[in-house]
Amino acid sequence: MDSVTNGKMTKNLLYKTSRAYLLFSVVLLLVAAPLFYYSTKKLYLDETDDTLILHKNEFLQFTLPSLKRDEIASWNRYNRNSKIAAFNSTNEDTLFYKSYHDVLDNEIEPYRELNAMITIDGQLYTYSDRISLVETEDLMQNIALLFLTIISVLLLGLFIITKRLSVRLWKPFNQTLTQIEQFEIDKSKLPQFTATDIEEFKRLNTSIEKLVVKNTTIYRSQREFIENAAHELQTPLAVFQAKIDSFVQSGSFTEKQYQDLSSINDTIARLTRLNKNLLLLSKIENDNFSEKETISIKEIIEKNSAFFTEQAAAKNLSINLDLQENKLVQSNPVLAEILISNLFLNAIKHNKTNGVLQVKLGDNSLVFSNSGQSQALTTDKLFNRFSKSNPSDHGNGLGLAIIKKIADGNNWTISYSFENLLHTFKVRF
Amino acid sequence: MFTFAAMKLLLIEDEKELANSIQSYLTGNDFVCEWATTTQAAITKISNYDYDCILLDLMLPDGNGFAVLQELKKQHKTEGVIIISAKENLETRIEGFNLGADDYLTKPFHLSELLVRIQALIRRKNFNGNNLVTFNEIEIDTLSKMIKVNNKKVEVTKKEIDLLLYLIGNLNKVLSKSAIAEHLSGDMADMLDNHDFVYAHIKNLKNKLKEAGCDDYIKTVYGLGYKWQND
Repeated sequence: MDSVTNGKMTKNLLYKTSRAYLLFSVVLLLVAAPLFYYSTKKLYLDETDDTLILHKNEFLQFTLPSLKRDEIASWNRYNRNSKIAAFNSTNEDTLFYKSYHDVLDNEIEPYRELNAMITIDGQLYTYSDRISLVETEDLMQNIALLFLTIISVLLLGLFIITKRLSVRLWKPFNQTLTQIEQFEIDKSKLPQFTATDIEEFKRLNTSIEKLVVKNTTIYRSQREFIENAAHELQTPLAVFQAKIDSFVQSGSFTEKQYQDLSSINDTIARLTRLNKNLLLLSKIENDNFSEKETISIKEIIEKNSAFFTEQAAAKNLSINLDLQENKLVQSNPVLAEILISNLFLNAIKHNKTNGVLQVKLGDNSLVFSNSGQSQALTTDKLFNRFSKSNPSDHGNGLGLAIIKKIADGNNWTISYSFENLLHTFKVRF
Repeated sequence: MFTFAAMKLLLIEDEKELANSIQSYLTGNDFVCEWATTTQAAITKISNYDYDCILLDLMLPDGNGFAVLQELKKQHKTEGVIIISAKENLETRIEGFNLGADDYLTKPFHLSELLVRIQALIRRKNFNGNNLVTFNEIEIDTLSKMIKVNNKKVEVTKKEIDLLLYLIGNLNKVLSKSAIAEHLSGDMADMLDNHDFVYAHIKNLKNKLKEAGCDDYIKTVYGLGYKWQND
């Protein structure tokens, strides 16, 4: 199993261990094979030399004393490997390699040869004896083959055993891994670890379990805190709103005072929206909108298109609705409407005067494309809460976070791209 | 002229400052608005008096406001009830409607919105078959969504009728642009951060009324919003 992390290929544990074993075995083989070859060869050669010397000694002891000079030719005739030749000034016994042409095989073949000085009838001769080394080559080949076979069987065995063992040994670890991979902190399902009798994995499971429980608790209380805080803010906001509503009735004000009142009004409206959107986000996270039904995306768009057209009028946008497919999806109807409205209003809000807005409903996707600023938005934090492309705009930075949450809840994907100067948000159903 | 003179309201709300503002805003529109802060006090009041409309907060010091709805049912009372609550979820809403509430307004809300909701509810409850709202030369049929000026029909959109009812309902009240925007956009209000479209609607309505020979009752309140005023 290979996978790519940070552009680097990662390999699994078994691969790594096997590779180490394999590397060791290859090195061992490379070092051991020549060593084995040469030592065996040397041993064999020693043996050959001993044999040659033995032959010579036997010759000296049993043959030479009775050998006459005129018998040399016939002796030579009946001995293929031993010869008595004219003295070639070799005084000492000499062992050396020499190749001879083999008439039968028509090949040059290696021999080990011994030359010794002998005296027959008072005249010096050279005694030579040779042993073919062809058998050595065969032997060496056989030994090397055997050696290779043993090494291969060893390696194969090692590999199979490691593989089997590691699959069995690492099974609890892999189970734990699967559980963690499936775990999502914002879902209620906690990972269930299988019991194991391996101490290290037991410790791993226990500590992950602790970690998960602790973090889930923190996450939940954080989530509840956001919802409660937003909830608690509703009443003071209501008082604030009511006070300002009745205050503006109380008489006539100066121009400056009207301006201040207007900005107070706008600010409280912003605050109210922010709070309501935070509440909405918390509610989506808390699965308050879990009931799903079959709904038509086309119907939702058509139902609200007059409202959106009205909102787009100030910027004189040309809106192009391409709703060919009557796409039916499973979703909570309230959330689906919020998702579409947010996408629509987003495309209007960030548009430019006389800009374009295209909505295309395909078989399994809904695409909103709009003109706007001429650079692409930075995408990494686009769907985070309070991430704004323009920090000074009056949006609350929750719209895309809400869109993302709704899409996630329905197992839809939302993506952003910037092509041909159009900012495009695509929902895949 | 259509008025809600002598309409009796009961406000059940434990937040004193909010209750004060609601009372003063509504009283200025010829309502008599009584106030209770607990479910017990509210139940005592509804047992002794009849109201045209009840405004009910749900989270009260001595329990859930739903107890008041159950009591009304038990006593076979037919008062219209508008729940005003900070609680905003479907279950509470549905439970409220099942227990006999007529409308549900989530806090925070504009007093102008509350007022038109009360008016609409009382119209539905008390004026069976009579859906006419009149203001001087203007006559609005709230059911068939028609407007007549000096007995001549004026072509307007549904949204413009809605806006007109809202303005007339809040006679002599200054209405901020954001309040009007929220009224007109309904559920979408939480997503809107631009209220400029209000201007277009006001302008269109103004022009249509003017063309029909209607007086100009819509006054611009500098920077802040608009006001329906009978000079």
